[in-house]
Amino acid sequence: MNALLKIAGALALAVGLAVPALAQTTLVAPGQNTSGTYMDYMKTVYARATYAEVLQIPLTSFDKDFTLTALGAESWDQSADGLTWTFHLRPGLVWSDGEKLTAEDYVFALQRAATDGYDFNWYWDFAGGIKNWKDVTEGKADVSTLGLKAVDDMTIEVTTAAPKPYLPSVVSLWYPVPKHQFDKYGDDWATNIDTVISSGPYLLDSWEKSNNSVVLVKNPTYTGPWQSEVDRIEIDPTLGAPEVGLPAFLAGDADYSFLNTGQVPVASQRYPDGIRKNAVFAVSYISFDLNSAPFNDVNVRKAFYYAVNRDELTSTVLKDIAIPAGSILAPGYPGYNAEIAAEAVFDPAKAKQFMADAGFPDGKGFPEIEIWYREEGGYNGAIVPPMAQYLQSQFKDILGITMNIKVMPTQDWMDGLLKKKNNIFIAPYEYDYLDPSNFFGIFYNGGRHDHHVEAYDKLVAAADSNPVWEERLKLYAQAEQVLIDNASIVPLVHPITIAVLSDQLGGDASTPNKQGFTPLDRLAHYFFTHLTKK
Amino acid sequence: MIAFILRRLVSIAVTFIVVSLIIFLMMHAIPGGPFDGHDMPLSDAVRAKLMARLGLDQPLHVQYLNYMWGVLHFDFGVPYQSPGDTIIGLLSRAWIPSLVLGGAGVLIGAPLGVLLGMAAALNRNTWIDYLASTFATLGLTIPVFVISLMLILVFAVWLNWLPASGWGKPERWILPIIAYAAIPLATYARYTRSAMLDTLNRPFVTVLRAKGLSERRIIFQHVLRNSAIPLVTVFLPMFIGTATGSIFVEAMFRVPGLGSYFVSSIEKRDYPLEMALMLMITMMYCLAYLFSDIVYALLNPRIRAGGKP
Repeated sequence: MNALLKIAGALALAVGLAVPALAQTTLVAPGQNTSGTYMDYMKTVYARATYAEVLQIPLTSFDKDFTLTALGAESWDQSADGLTWTFHLRPGLVWSDGEKLTAEDYVFALQRAATDGYDFNWYWDFAGGIKNWKDVTEGKADVSTLGLKAVDDMTIEVTTAAPKPYLPSVVSLWYPVPKHQFDKYGDDWATNIDTVISSGPYLLDSWEKSNNSVVLVKNPTYTGPWQSEVDRIEIDPTLGAPEVGLPAFLAGDADYSFLNTGQVPVASQRYPDGIRKNAVFAVSYISFDLNSAPFNDVNVRKAFYYAVNRDELTSTVLKDIAIPAGSILAPGYPGYNAEIAAEAVFDPAKAKQFMADAGFPDGKGFPEIEIWYREEGGYNGAIVPPMAQYLQSQFKDILGITMNIKVMPTQDWMDGLLKKKNNIFIAPYEYDYLDPSNFFGIFYNGGRHDHHVEAYDKLVAAADSNPVWEERLKLYAQAEQVLIDNASIVPLVHPITIAVLSDQLGGDASTPNKQGFTPLDRLAHYFFTHLTKK
Repeated sequence: MIAFILRRLVSIAVTFIVVSLIIFLMMHAIPGGPFDGHDMPLSDAVRAKLMARLGLDQPLHVQYLNYMWGVLHFDFGVPYQSPGDTIIGLLSRAWIPSLVLGGAGVLIGAPLGVLLGMAAALNRNTWIDYLASTFATLGLTIPVFVISLMLILVFAVWLNWLPASGWGKPERWILPIIAYAAIPLATYARYTRSAMLDTLNRPFVTVLRAKGLSERRIIFQHVLRNSAIPLVTVFLPMFIGTATGSIFVEAMFRVPGLGSYFVSSIEKRDYPLEMALMLMITMMYCLAYLFSDIVYALLNPRIRAGGKP
């Protein structure tokens, strides 16, 4: 009897120990970049470690319907002159080491960014418009003159050079940096798992630097909104390539995988309920050097604008992975104007006429040109090469011109674009924050194309600072009309990403939004906190 | 022999310096730097700060001399991709998976390849020979990422015998080791077959047979030994090439090894790491060929490197 009791006791203990272990849910997810330097979004964006941003709590963020949601900030208000924003922090937030999260941690994050060579520096000038930002980054003014102030532990004040009605959207990329940890370790606080601390829903459990894979676990000290619904997330960037991700998914080693075009039919047949599509807020377009021949002639540029059959392009060579782009803004993006997008029609007769008006009837006398695009992975890597070949053939057929194609490393491509080493490029751009100013800004006052069109710049400047949303939209629409009338660019396609999800996954993040798209990890904070696993 | 080794060591030192100079200049001749290629260009002020932080604002010759001075003291610098680390620390950590999987691949693939090559040579123009040759040709011609994908599909997806990818538990090593073994196996099968056929046709084998030596003794003691020189020539370079990681195998099987650094160091313009990897490979190949030369002499007493046959 005694022995039986002992056995029963041992079994009960074993079950008791096993239940929590069994109950623990682990999500295995693909990541994006196989190398990462600092686990600190506010130190580097382009070379950050895998999902460094998920460890911290931004002031605001977006849910799957792209509704702005208060996270670190509980509320905010704007001064009467529109130049000063006051953000009130959510009470009770702490760092995972127990220290209180304060306004100083947010202000310090941007002060260091302004003075310490932050690769995302342009954003806080271009999007944030923070007072004196440029002067401070260029060393012409002291950091104390920045339009940033921690009024008290719970209040941040931001002053902009001009009214920025969309600032609450911009600060969705403003994460705190633990100043007390930085004071102890310097920037190295974010290079070692022993010194990385969190203010957000997850803690860093491990970090394999050779492929930038991480394991995140639920942060027990996090009291803010959007709590994690899984206990553990393993994120492996090597799973990000569909060629690796799908076999691992099929073998049960990953909970979801992105798909390339060849994989879509197979995965759709096998997992019809698991397929998720997302219209990425991005655009691929042709960009010209407006100052050099032959593209200094607006008729030539317009000929290119009308010579693209976007419907054929996206229904044949880019089947399932892109939709036609008539505007720089994607459908669903704030400020998207369907009427303007509808202007981008395929009209071969008009295209030929514009070529003739430019003095190149049927392409006669038109110089041989070379279009440059950058070599890259991800959705652009799948879209741009076949699209370039399609355009090459279409321009030959319709315009009678010879366009060669050159693929080049990103660095060379960017150098060529900025220094105008070539006169025609295929350029992709993905949004950083949800406001039309984001896309209009890339052509404003030079932007990234050295694009200077006075009428456009005036309209964008006026739209950017106008506090009335409807008026802003009208101004942006006028600005885009200027872009079209000038044929400054030729919008081509908006990318679509496709993924397959395991039937073990659930939660709001796994289901489509109102527009039928599932943004998945493009909205990392929302995604990793609104996903469940059986 | 000692004089020969000393001469070779001096020539290795010269090679090392010349290679370091060429790599350094080529690396910096490629347009762009570690902070280019983003969606928006960096401002001049920000770029200047970042470049100064990494010492890239110094003249090229100063950068080169500083780096090589560090190398002399076994300090290869800090990788741009992993700022809290040292290059020695990073390489020694990332090399372990590559060495384990790639090394095991060669150590398993090479002997199997020798056996396959022997079987083909000893059964020339029979189905065994044709099968072995077909196998070897396929092993050499099918890209390793296709082999990897097939292994994953068959053993992980269809049969569900093994995990598809990952590192850590030994059962995860099996498929990448098989993928790594394919090329050594195929290479050795072809080399062994060809070298053995060449040796089998030489007059001394006929003499040995005439003397009444057993076929087994002729094959293992004389033919195989005389066929070994090309196999020795191939072995070390192949071992180095495989045990320093393959970007394809490591990517397909999600192995956190050294392979990806060969590409990422160039792509990210991670100059210190790029230099360290190239110098490491250079030194390994130099030492491998020196070692091979010594082994030649031991295998065949007629060979005296630098001397008369």
